[in-house]
Amino acid sequence: MSLHYDQETIELPRSWKSKASVLFAAGLALLVIGAVFSLFMPPSGKADEQSALRFVTHSYLANYMFVVTIALGALFFVLVQHVARAGWSSSIRRIAELLMSTLPFLAVLFVPIVVLLYANSNALYEWNVRDKVHSSVILSKIDAGYLTRNYFTLRALVYFSVWVFMGAVFFNLSRQQDSSGDVELTQKRQKWSGPFIMVFALSASFAAFDWVMSIDADWFSTIFGVYIFAAGMMAFFATMILICLSLQQAGKLQKLVTVEHYHDMGKFMFGFIMFWSYIAFSQLLLYWYANVPEETNWFRERLIDGWQYLAYGLIPLHFAIPFLGTISRHVRRHRAGLAFWAVWVLFAHWLDMTFLVIPNAGPVQMIPLVGHFLGGLGMLAIFIAFFLVRASNVPLVAVRDPRLPEALTYSNPIL
Amino acid sequence: MSDQKPRKPAEPKPPRSCGWMAEFSNEHDLLVASRKVRDAGYTKTDAFTPFPVHGIDEALGIKPTILPFIVLCAGLTGLFTALLMQWWMNGVDYKYIISAKPFGITPASIPVGFELTILFSAFTSVFGMLGLNGLPRFSNAIFTNPRFDRATDDKFFLYVDSRDRYYNRDSVRELLGSTQPESLDEVLEDASPTTLPRPIWLASLLLVLAGLIPAAIVLNMRAGFSDLPRWHVFFDMDFQPKKKPQQTTTIFADGRSMRPQVEGTVARGQLTEQDPFYLGWDPDKKVSAIEGETKRFVSVQGVGQDATAGAASPTPQDSATPAQPPADGGATPMQPPADGGAAPALDLPWLERFPFEPSDADLKLGKTKFEIYCSACHGYSGYGDGLVSKRAASLLQDTWTPPTSLHADRVQKQPVGQIFHTISKGQGKMASYASSLTPKERWAIVLYVKALQRSRNAKIDDIPVEQRSNLTETK
Repeated sequence: MSLHYDQETIELPRSWKSKASVLFAAGLALLVIGAVFSLFMPPSGKADEQSALRFVTHSYLANYMFVVTIALGALFFVLVQHVARAGWSSSIRRIAELLMSTLPFLAVLFVPIVVLLYANSNALYEWNVRDKVHSSVILSKIDAGYLTRNYFTLRALVYFSVWVFMGAVFFNLSRQQDSSGDVELTQKRQKWSGPFIMVFALSASFAAFDWVMSIDADWFSTIFGVYIFAAGMMAFFATMILICLSLQQAGKLQKLVTVEHYHDMGKFMFGFIMFWSYIAFSQLLLYWYANVPEETNWFRERLIDGWQYLAYGLIPLHFAIPFLGTISRHVRRHRAGLAFWAVWVLFAHWLDMTFLVIPNAGPVQMIPLVGHFLGGLGMLAIFIAFFLVRASNVPLVAVRDPRLPEALTYSNPIL
Repeated sequence: MSDQKPRKPAEPKPPRSCGWMAEFSNEHDLLVASRKVRDAGYTKTDAFTPFPVHGIDEALGIKPTILPFIVLCAGLTGLFTALLMQWWMNGVDYKYIISAKPFGITPASIPVGFELTILFSAFTSVFGMLGLNGLPRFSNAIFTNPRFDRATDDKFFLYVDSRDRYYNRDSVRELLGSTQPESLDEVLEDASPTTLPRPIWLASLLLVLAGLIPAAIVLNMRAGFSDLPRWHVFFDMDFQPKKKPQQTTTIFADGRSMRPQVEGTVARGQLTEQDPFYLGWDPDKKVSAIEGETKRFVSVQGVGQDATAGAASPTPQDSATPAQPPADGGATPMQPPADGGAAPALDLPWLERFPFEPSDADLKLGKTKFEIYCSACHGYSGYGDGLVSKRAASLLQDTWTPPTSLHADRVQKQPVGQIFHTISKGQGKMASYASSLTPKERWAIVLYVKALQRSRNAKIDDIPVEQRSNLTETK
C-alpha cells in the first residue's frame, strides 16, 4: 500500500534548518557563561574539596547526562517498537530515529571528560589520581584495574561504538525502506531488535556505573543503571511530545501524528514517571533499611548542606505532581496540557541529574547553580542543534513503512 | 409437592416487546448502522459482536465511564488505609523496636501502602465494572431469538431498547430497516417461567445435605467416645523400625541402642577436639579441664558456688532465701560478670602463648575482623562503647548490660586462650562467633585485642623511631 503525501509536509520547516548553527553557537556560549558563574564561588578553606574546576566539571557531567539519557531513551524506544512489532508508533518512529542518531555527535561531547582524565585531574573522578585517594574501597577498585583512566576510556569507547552502531543499522535500514518500501527491511530490524536490546541494557547500565556512579566510588548500587534508564525514558517521551507538537505547530505532520499518538506518548511518560519513582524508592528503601554506613553515605551527602531541599523536592517535583497531573486521559489528549507536563518533566529530569551529580562537588552554592542551569540550557540547545542537523533532508516520517496505515487509523478505546 | 396447583393454561397473551434487533454480517455495516442510530438520538442501545470492534463506543455514542475516578478514589483509600494502619499498629498501639527503626510511618510503610493501593484499585475495577454494567444478569430478552446465538460466532447485532426515551416501535423498525440489515427482528420478552425447575431444586438440596456429612461426622467424633484403638493412617510412619537415643535393644549384648565409639577410631570433626589451636586450652591437662567445666555447669544451673557440694544437696544460700523468685535465680548467672566478677571464672588450662607465630598479616586480619564483628558493641577502641551499645543503652536504659571493656583489668589479665574461648563460645549476652569466624580469624582478633590493650599503656619507646613523626601529625 502506497501513501500519497505532500513532500512539503513531512520535511523540517525551512526556517528551522538554518537555526542549527545558531543554536549550536548559542549553546556553546551558554556553557561558557555558565562556567564563568561558578568562578563566583565563595572562597573555602578546603581548596581540595571545593573549587571552581570541581563544580564546573560536575556541572558539565550532569548536563551531559541530561541530554545523553534522552538520546539513549530514543535508541531503546526504536528497538522496543521493533521487538514488539508495534504498528501505532510507525508514524512517529522517525523522530525517535533522528533523536538516537545524535549519539555520534554526543560522543564528541564526552571527549572533554576523557581529556580531563588524561590531564591527571581528580576534580571529577577522585579515583583518577591514586595518590590522593584515601578510601581503601576506592583503592581496591583502582588496584583491581577497573577504575583506571585507560580502561575507563576504552569502556566509554565501547559503549559509544555499540550505540552508534545499533543506531546506524536501524536508521539506515529505515532510510532504505523510504525508497524501496521493502517489508524485509522491517523483518530484518525485528530480527536484530531483540539481541540489540540486550546489548543496550548492559552497555547503558555500565555507562551509568562508570560515568555517574564512579564520581563517588565508595558507594555502589546495582540498580543504578536502571535508575538512569528510567529517568532517560521519561525524559525521552517528554522530548518526543514537544518535538511532535512543535512540528505540528509549524504545519508539518498534520494528519500523521494524531491525538491518539499524543495520548500514547503521554501514557508512556506517565508510566515512566511511575517507574522512575519505583526504582528510586527501591534503591532508597534497601539502603535505608540496612543502614550500613558505607551504603548510606551517598544519601547523607544529598541530605545535608542545602541539598536536602532538592532531595525532598524531587518527591513532589519528579513524582507526585506530574503523576497526578498526567493521570487523566483528558490531559494526555489535550495538546497544551501535555506540552506543559512535558516541559515540567524535562525540568524534573534536569533536577534529577543535578541531584545525582552536583552534591559530590560540595554544598549548595546559589550563583554557581544558576550557571549550572544556564549550562543545562546550553546543552539542550546543542542537543536540539544536533537533532536539526540530523533531521535536515530526511523525511520526518518513515514514508513507506508497511505498518504506517495501521498507525494512521489507530485509536485508543474509550474507557 | 403434589398439592401445588398446576399452572393455569394461560390465555394467549402476546409477549411484551423489548425492542428491535438488527443483524449484520460484518463490523463495518454495524458501525455505519450504529452511527445512524446514535445520530437519531437513541441512547438505550447496545451492540453485540464476536470480537472487540474498534470505535464501536464512539459509534454508539457511549459516554466515558466514571469507573477510573471510582478506582482512583479506591486506590487513595487503600493508600491511606495502609498508612493509617501502620501508624496505629507500630506507632501507637504496639510500639516495638524493629531493626532500630523509628515508630510509625517510615519508608518501610510505602510498600504496604503501594500494595493496598493496588489491591483496593483492582477489586474496585472488577466489581465496579460488574456493578456499572448491571452484572451478573442471568437472562436477557435478546436471548429468546435463536439467531442471536451467532453473536459469539460470526454475526454482529445492533439492539435498540424499548425503554429509550424516544422509542417508537414503528420509527425504530423503519430506521433499522434503512441500514439494510441481514435480518430485523423484534425482541420479545422472555416468557419462560422464572421459578427454579424442580430437579435442580432437589439436586441443590441434596448437595447441601451431602456437604453437611463430613461436618456431622467430625461433630459426632468430637462429642462422643469410642473404645476402638486410634486409627493410624500411615502405620509404618507412626511406628518406624528404628531406635532412638537412650532406648534399649536386644541386638547388642550390652542392651544399648546408642553405640559407643569403636576403640582406636577418630570420627569426623573430632580431630579439632584435641588441638589447642581449636580450643584455646590444652586438652592434655584433661583432669583440671573437666573440673573446670563441671564448676561452670554447676554455676550455670544456679545450684551454688560450691561445686563440690553436689547437685543433690541444697546449698545454704537456697535454704536461706526459699522464696527467691525463679526468674531472678535463672537470670543471674546469665548476666556477664561485672569487673572483678562474682561469677566463677572458667578454670581451664588456658594457652598463655599463641599456638602459632603471629605475623603482621595476622594483625591486619584481626583488625579487619574486629572492626566487622566486634566493634559494633565493643567499639573501635574496645571500651565497650560501640554504636549498638550506645543506642541500646539509650533505648533500654537499665535493662541493657553494656559489653565488657576490653581494657578492664580482668580482661587485661586473661590469657590469650581464654579470650579465644570467649570468642568461640560466647559469654553472657555475647553470642558465639564460631560460625562466622574461622579459628585462624579468631586468633587474629585475639592478637588485635592484645595489641589494643598494649596500646593503652604504650610508652614512646614502643614506637619505632621512624614512625614517631606520625604521632604528632594526627594529634
